Amino acid sequence: MLLNVKELAIDYQGKNTVANVNFDLSAGEIMAIVGESGSGKTSVIRAILGCLSGTGQVSAGEINFNGRDIAHLSNKEWLAIRGKDMAMIFQDSGNMLNPVQTIGRQFVEYIQLHSKLSHSEAVKKACGLLARMNLPDPARVMDSYAFELSGGMRQRVGIAMALTFSPQLLLADEPTSALDVTTQAQIVDELMQVVHEAGSAMIIVTHNIGVAAHMADKIMVMAGGKVVEYGKTDEIIKNPQAEYTRTLLGSVPEIGGQRYVS
Amino acid sequence: MSAKEVLLATDKVSKIFTLKDGTRFTACNEVSISLHKGETLGLVGESGCGKSTFVRTIMGLHPATSGKILFKGEDITNLTGEKRREMAKHIQMIFQDPATAFNPKMRIKDIICEPLRNFERVSDKEAEARAVDLLRQVELAPEIALRYPHELSGGQRQRVGIARALILEPEIIICDEATSALDVSVQDSIAKLLAKIQREKGVSYIFICHDLALVSLISHRVMVMQKGNVVEELPGDKLQSCQHPYTKKLLASVFTVHR
Repeated sequence: MLLNVKELAIDYQGKNTVANVNFDLSAGEIMAIVGESGSGKTSVIRAILGCLSGTGQVSAGEINFNGRDIAHLSNKEWLAIRGKDMAMIFQDSGNMLNPVQTIGRQFVEYIQLHSKLSHSEAVKKACGLLARMNLPDPARVMDSYAFELSGGMRQRVGIAMALTFSPQLLLADEPTSALDVTTQAQIVDELMQVVHEAGSAMIIVTHNIGVAAHMADKIMVMAGGKVVEYGKTDEIIKNPQAEYTRTLLGSVPEIGGQRYVS
Repeated sequence: MSAKEVLLATDKVSKIFTLKDGTRFTACNEVSISLHKGETLGLVGESGCGKSTFVRTIMGLHPATSGKILFKGEDITNLTGEKRREMAKHIQMIFQDPATAFNPKMRIKDIICEPLRNFERVSDKEAEARAVDLLRQVELAPEIALRYPHELSGGQRQRVGIARALILEPEIIICDEATSALDVSVQDSIAKLLAKIQREKGVSYIFICHDLALVSLISHRVMVMQKGNVVEELPGDKLQSCQHPYTKKLLASVFTVHR
């Protein structure tokens, strides 16, 4: 068992926001957390990565990663884990990238921070990773600034960086929501492929149940800071138990579905 | 549908931007549409395909490079000044993210009544009454009239955006990615609301969206745009019978829950 979360509760400004979250994840598994904005899905993965925003803190429960409780590590202890054993892909990687440094410069810095590779080795590794994400002409991407790339390209850079050290656990916060449908479809497939190749486990947070159903082995549905339903993808999609899951499934627009106009 | 009155028509509207280095970029290439009364026309395509540029040209936010725009048979392509301002009564717009489209220091009632105040004198009392009435139509509680935009959720704000578009009783409402920033369940309720308003008031929509599934459910007709050109036009309920490879690619990109 790679990750085991027990009775996790998260407080913001001393007020309980997320409670009673339980799940476990083995290597190679993909789990999706779905729910509306404000349901606490991002808080859960941020707690796992130890970077809750603002006044957020884990107030109860355990987060066992490789058998070690990581819920209350110090910043120094986190440095060794974050970015290496555990990495995150953000909704818009453009916001994560430094706007005044070239992609290459920050990518190489990141690689050298966690390994003993020389500069030229790091450049080679970075180019290889970019090429694996189907980015044409990696050398040109390395010399570009974030604003010179399209949203889809930036997202591919973000995914390439997250996969650098083949992390055991990959966290993805709405990785395709800011993209066009066609780009989204490509990135979802590329992401699944590289995750499988790297043998990583992944938690993907999304409000697109279509994406969740396509990618995930199991799904956790959240609403108002609580887990509404948790189980295998097939069971949740075919036989949802909770009323809320049914509403959520019913509101996904489908071609040939119930029309709004006559 | 053809028997119905044509509200808005464009005849080969093109918009060409001249870039800094002097090259010309064609954002819209000879786009011709006709919008009937009480109809929803969907416009789909990826970012950068020219759908927003096209509706901005209709709104007169920038001039068309060539072509004609007709509203009820009258040429509105090159309207300026007072006449352009008067046009706003007939065509209104709902934006993707109302959080950035609203003035954060204005109360909701003032946001809703702002278009009205551009055209006629209204007392504060009357404005509030109108705002409350519109809030009821978009299924929001009347207390919201006194709140500020940041106090509302995304879905509530988008309802306020719809209320503001409705206050001048326009014939046409242009929705530019109006539901794209919302959660699926909220998106569903906003789409239902738009359809209800259309049944009650007979407004026409131009509905811009990149989600093919949603656009097919809400539109009577769908036009698919790629790189500034309209590549295919289809009835909303017959998207599966598309011929163009780009439409097929868009269709294949939709993630469905029930395969």
